[in-house]
Amino acid sequence: MARAFEVLRQAGLQLERSVEARALRYDAGGVMVIEVRNSDIPTYVGLGVADAGIVGKDVLLESGSHLYEPVDLGFAACRLSLIRPRGAAGALRRVASKYPRLTAGYLRRVGSSAEVVRLSGNVELACLTGLADAVVDIVETGGTLRANELEEVAVVLRSSARLVVNRAALKLKARRLRPLIVALREVCRRAAD
Amino acid sequence: MAFPPEGTRYILPEEAQARAGVVGLLGDLYDAWGYRLVEVPALERYHPDHPRVGQSFKLSDRDSGVLALRSDFTPALAGLVRTHYPRVAAGEEEEVAPLRLRYADKTWQAIDPDVARTREFTQVGVELIGVSNARADTELIHLARESVRAVGLVPRVEIGNPAFVRALLDLAAVPQSGRGELADAIDRKDRSTLVALLADLAPPKDVAAALFEVPDLYGDVSVLEEARRVAPWPPALAELERLQAILGEFEDDSELLLDLGTARRLSYYTGVTFRAYTFDYGQPLLGGGRYDGALLPWAAGFTIGLERLLSAVPDRSEGAPVLVLSLDDVGARILRAAGYGVMRSLTTDVEAARQEARRQGIPYLLTEVELEPLEEAGSGLAELRRVLEEGRG
Repeated sequence: MARAFEVLRQAGLQLERSVEARALRYDAGGVMVIEVRNSDIPTYVGLGVADAGIVGKDVLLESGSHLYEPVDLGFAACRLSLIRPRGAAGALRRVASKYPRLTAGYLRRVGSSAEVVRLSGNVELACLTGLADAVVDIVETGGTLRANELEEVAVVLRSSARLVVNRAALKLKARRLRPLIVALREVCRRAAD
Repeated sequence: MAFPPEGTRYILPEEAQARAGVVGLLGDLYDAWGYRLVEVPALERYHPDHPRVGQSFKLSDRDSGVLALRSDFTPALAGLVRTHYPRVAAGEEEEVAPLRLRYADKTWQAIDPDVARTREFTQVGVELIGVSNARADTELIHLARESVRAVGLVPRVEIGNPAFVRALLDLAAVPQSGRGELADAIDRKDRSTLVALLADLAPPKDVAAALFEVPDLYGDVSVLEEARRVAPWPPALAELERLQAILGEFEDDSELLLDLGTARRLSYYTGVTFRAYTFDYGQPLLGGGRYDGALLPWAAGFTIGLERLLSAVPDRSEGAPVLVLSLDDVGARILRAAGYGVMRSLTTDVEAARQEARRQGIPYLLTEVELEPLEEAGSGLAELRRVLEEGRG
């Protein structure tokens, strides 16, 4: 969230975020910025309640929404991986994940008929308790995995934060959105240099 | 309480009237352009090649055959044409007059009710069959624009031509297996995925550069000029020419937008496609395009989702509200003929009728002797009395 505010500021939005104020909406010089849960962003942008949003590629794909995603912002980089207890080699029968759609898609691609179980948090526990014989979850540094004797078996998806834009808004509000897209691309290019 | 199945609902009088009003409005518009109403069965024979095969409700017939509920009007109308207009269906473009058909009815799509709450839709649309040229495409785009205006909204019609991206994929020699993913990334304007996919395919450098630019080729008609610079190869230029020919037919192209990155649409579209938008509404109001060679040799059309169109229209009261409760059938006939809404009282007792009118929120009571204003009556009493007197002679 902090990074998203920062790139928007770098792209020229007059935006001050006050954590204490617990505000849900900020007026950034003619642009209204709202804070919503990441998995709700594809809904807000898809229905056009918000013209644009910042969301991880993982969440975007899991939502199944078909939004424009003109800028890969690069931050919040992580990978979604298949994780098993270290040394496990048996066939996959049940896989737990916060990303059931992506997990099912991955299993189909690799020809597995394992069942997918949807969980909401501490997904690694599913492996450790025997609820599932693998999980699909976000890996950032791998610290949690090592501490729990788990290992990353395969990468399902590489993710990073994306600017997503409503289809109608990009066309009908191009005068506001195109400069924002150009500015965000420039911010990312500078960050990459 | 017995709710109907998930994704379907009862539609109560006020909304039903508003829906019928819009359907009527659009029907009148299409009639005026020479499009004629047809009906097609809601029950279809199940076919694994149907473009929406994964989304249709299936039913079993008595003889163990499988049926499907109509999920899309375009293939349904193509069936009607193949059956009843074989010469049009055979593509005898020179000898037979093109067909202009319209429809307005329900379709059903067996989509996950968690994803989309509606599984029963009313679709209103037109098809122009048996001809393929820029003038025909233009007619449909005109009509799409008029459809949005007809309901009081300001239209913007976005035109694309997926054949332009296809031409570039041909030039890049992208194998069939890799095309879906690439076209998808272009359509989503997802440049980072596009770069990754192009790196694997290693097409000629100039074509790769053009493909990288395509997602940003959207906006007003000046985009065509930019596209010619980005993709100066004959097969790509020919597709741009098709768009130019359409734009050239419009005396005023200010309400038109182009998006040359449009690459992913329903499987049957083969040529120019378009969508209509309006301001402050985040979803397209209608969509259509040309599907030559897919379901019929030469054909194009568009469909409006009635539910979506109505959700974009600001609330307004529809139809003539009932103004008079009547105990006098002769007087009622006179008022109805003059366009007033008159409801027949279910009692013959005047005091009971007064109460009935109040319960229904009706401001006037008509008896055989007089027209009586009740408490909530407005200012139209004199006019109503005049109409009655004139009618009675």
